[in-house]
Amino acid sequence: MFQQTRTHTAVCLAILAALLAYAILGGYFAREIVVEIAILAILAISLDLVAGYGGMVSLFNGAIMGVAAYGYGALTVKFEMHPVPAAILGVALAATFGTLVGAIVANTAGIFYIMATLAFGQMAYTIVFQSRWLGGDDGLAGLPRFDFEAIGIDMNDPLVFALFAIVLVILVYLAAAGLLRSAFGRTLCGIHSNEARMRALGVTTWIPKMRALGTSSLLAGIAGILAAQHTQYISPELLHWTVSGEVLIVVILGGLGTLTGALVGAVAFVALKHGVGGYTDHWHIVVGIVLIAVVLAGGRGLFGQFHHLLGRRRNRAADASSARSHPHA
Amino acid sequence: MSESGFWALQLLNALQYSMLLFLLSIGLTVIFGLLHFVNLAHGALYMMGAYIGVSVAAATGSYWAAFFLAPLAVTAIGAVLYFTLIERLRQAGPMNQVLVTFGLIFIFLDLVRMGWGDIALGLDVPQAMAGTASVLAVEYPVYRLFIIALGLLIMGALLFVLSRTQIGAMIRASVENAAMASAMGINVQRLFVCVFCVGCALAGLAGVVAAPVFSASTGMGISILIPTLIVVVIGGLGSLQGAIAGSLIVGFLETMGAVLFPELAAILVYVLLAAILVIRPKGLIPARG
Amino acid sequence: MLEIRNLRKSFGGIEVTRNVSLSLTPGERRVVLGPNGAGKTTLFNLLAGELKPTSGEILLDGRPITHLSVSQRARAGLSRSYQKNNLFEDLTIRQNLQLAAAAGKGRTTSLFRDPLQDRELAVIVEEVAEQVSLSDMLDVDVRHASYGNRRQLEVGLALATRPRILLMDEPTSGVGPGMIKGFHHVLANLPRDLTIVIIEHDLDLAFDVSDRITVMNYGEVIFEGTPEETRGNRVVRDIYLGNWQADA
Repeated sequence: MFQQTRTHTAVCLAILAALLAYAILGGYFAREIVVEIAILAILAISLDLVAGYGGMVSLFNGAIMGVAAYGYGALTVKFEMHPVPAAILGVALAATFGTLVGAIVANTAGIFYIMATLAFGQMAYTIVFQSRWLGGDDGLAGLPRFDFEAIGIDMNDPLVFALFAIVLVILVYLAAAGLLRSAFGRTLCGIHSNEARMRALGVTTWIPKMRALGTSSLLAGIAGILAAQHTQYISPELLHWTVSGEVLIVVILGGLGTLTGALVGAVAFVALKHGVGGYTDHWHIVVGIVLIAVVLAGGRGLFGQFHHLLGRRRNRAADASSARSHPHA
Repeated sequence: MSESGFWALQLLNALQYSMLLFLLSIGLTVIFGLLHFVNLAHGALYMMGAYIGVSVAAATGSYWAAFFLAPLAVTAIGAVLYFTLIERLRQAGPMNQVLVTFGLIFIFLDLVRMGWGDIALGLDVPQAMAGTASVLAVEYPVYRLFIIALGLLIMGALLFVLSRTQIGAMIRASVENAAMASAMGINVQRLFVCVFCVGCALAGLAGVVAAPVFSASTGMGISILIPTLIVVVIGGLGSLQGAIAGSLIVGFLETMGAVLFPELAAILVYVLLAAILVIRPKGLIPARG
Repeated sequence: MLEIRNLRKSFGGIEVTRNVSLSLTPGERRVVLGPNGAGKTTLFNLLAGELKPTSGEILLDGRPITHLSVSQRARAGLSRSYQKNNLFEDLTIRQNLQLAAAAGKGRTTSLFRDPLQDRELAVIVEEVAEQVSLSDMLDVDVRHASYGNRRQLEVGLALATRPRILLMDEPTSGVGPGMIKGFHHVLANLPRDLTIVIIEHDLDLAFDVSDRITVMNYGEVIFEGTPEETRGNRVVRDIYLGNWQADA
């Protein structure tokens, strides 16, 4: 079950503060990194919701992000819609697609579930890739950012945009935490823990499972809008399944089923990518090795392992102090 | 070109693509059916087969050297992977298997880029197959006919082995119920290794065979993985007949579909996948009843 | 209240449930006896909806439920505890009961309210914990709970949905004699309007607790009657040869 402990909050705040400081004090490049981390963090949160808490590992969150991005792109570039309603519709499109897939795959599990989401993601990729109208291979350029000039906010300023990205991360985290603490979220965790028993208790389990994928897709859609507005250009590569694979890596790296791990993983992944990328073109190999190492080491991820060790230390201290006060227990 | 000639061409193309899919999916499906192991790196092995084939051919000047040595090399790679990682992860659950093999995809991707660079590499077809032959009233490249023939030959061989030989019976028994098979004295562990190696060999073979047609490129493992997975799910995990049926269905759907209704073709495969997942999640010809 | 008519179930050529008919009145305590393999758990699976019958009907309050899903039957008031513990292993005992209570009240879909903070559900959790004697252990992780406690929780989960009919599959299986007495106590404290069907092997418990007894063997009902009638029946005695004395 989800529980926002003090450790969770402390680590979240630390990361957000660090990102804030980096954006404000760093230069242009730092702000680009912060947005990149933010997009990845939002995607990772959306995946942790279904995979970590719902137990349904889906491999198409990248594609969902792309669906929202292309929805936004098509509406703003092709139909010249105002960015705000276009963004809302883009997110809605992502959520709808996710819900539909959720309904189709709700009764599959394990590897079938993974493969099904993988395939549907590739379907979206193929549709976009083949569509001349959407720019095909060349993608769509000229996507607008939100225009808040009226209230004195210049979204074209990289610092402002980076701050906007951080705000979105906070909002998405709070939304996910809220969802996990709701009846819906608790039911989802129950289904993860023992689906058959949930059914025997009267829950029609495919419905919450479908809704979980839909909600996750909504959040991933937000990442899509952010990504679209960031580079103001989108290409089919956004929807390729390797992007979804990277999101899964981020979640595992940070810690599956911790929510805070999504933030930790995003920072770690981007740091790794740019850190290694500074030395060599071949950061993929490093990611691959790190991933395998994390899984073989028990799979708890950076924050997961940290939290686990803290818990062990607390239990040992509690046992020690209770042994002292009850020597004959 | 005449109308019938055009369709004959499409038919042959579809058949050729199906054979390639078959070579890849049969390895993947039996590995999954027998070892319950999700090997996303199967596509990477295919890619290694292609690149190793290119190097062997360049070094020896002979396509046939590549044809025989590349699958062996890929099998060796597979064996190393099996004993270092895969055996450890067999009980690990699909997510961890996906993660680790995904990590392997990343590693192989960069290994290939480091070893062979980023540009696609070609492999020449053997001199003897360089021309075209007259088949079904069209001129069709002999090499592609070779691919079809090879695929059918291996299909036949595997069908024979699985249904008529003792080892085939042991494999089928172990797919259906490994614990029971083991209790009956079948060395299931050794069978696993054998089957895994054969699966890798077939992937490597598919790679070296495909290289003259598609070129060896860093994206090839990734791009072939999804169609292969779809074949495996549609056909049924662990089933040879399923792999045959699945690869023919997907091969024809993608090839003919691209001609008949180009926009829909790509999506059709996924619609079919969705239908199978909802109506017959065990696939068309499941290995277990 | 619950009626089973001519229920049959075959797997391939093997008939595991043969023409079983049974009728329960509201509030009845029915025990199903029979040797291993008699088809008792299969009958429960058919009642709960986890298996579909080959033929026959199941009616709840006169309404056919034969084609309803497991969750639909649960919502209609049918609840079940399992012979092998079927718990939420990674949660605490309290959270287990909270999930069940929430499900029972249909509070599983809201995006805003947290059932773990729901006071009405908390009351149900406390009542059920009291009923199954787990009040002191609510915050224990199921993983760290004793087998006996987990057995208690198994029943607790089934009770927490506040069902109208409760199926208990060998609730005391694997549990020591001290706990069996405790279970006796639990049963005695259950609401009298709750219809209960129990699969049991413990004959003392069966005779003590039941209003009527159904005896099964080889997938069919071979006897049904009051505890006294059952004790005196030759056919039944032959099955349980030597397991109890003819007179207490």
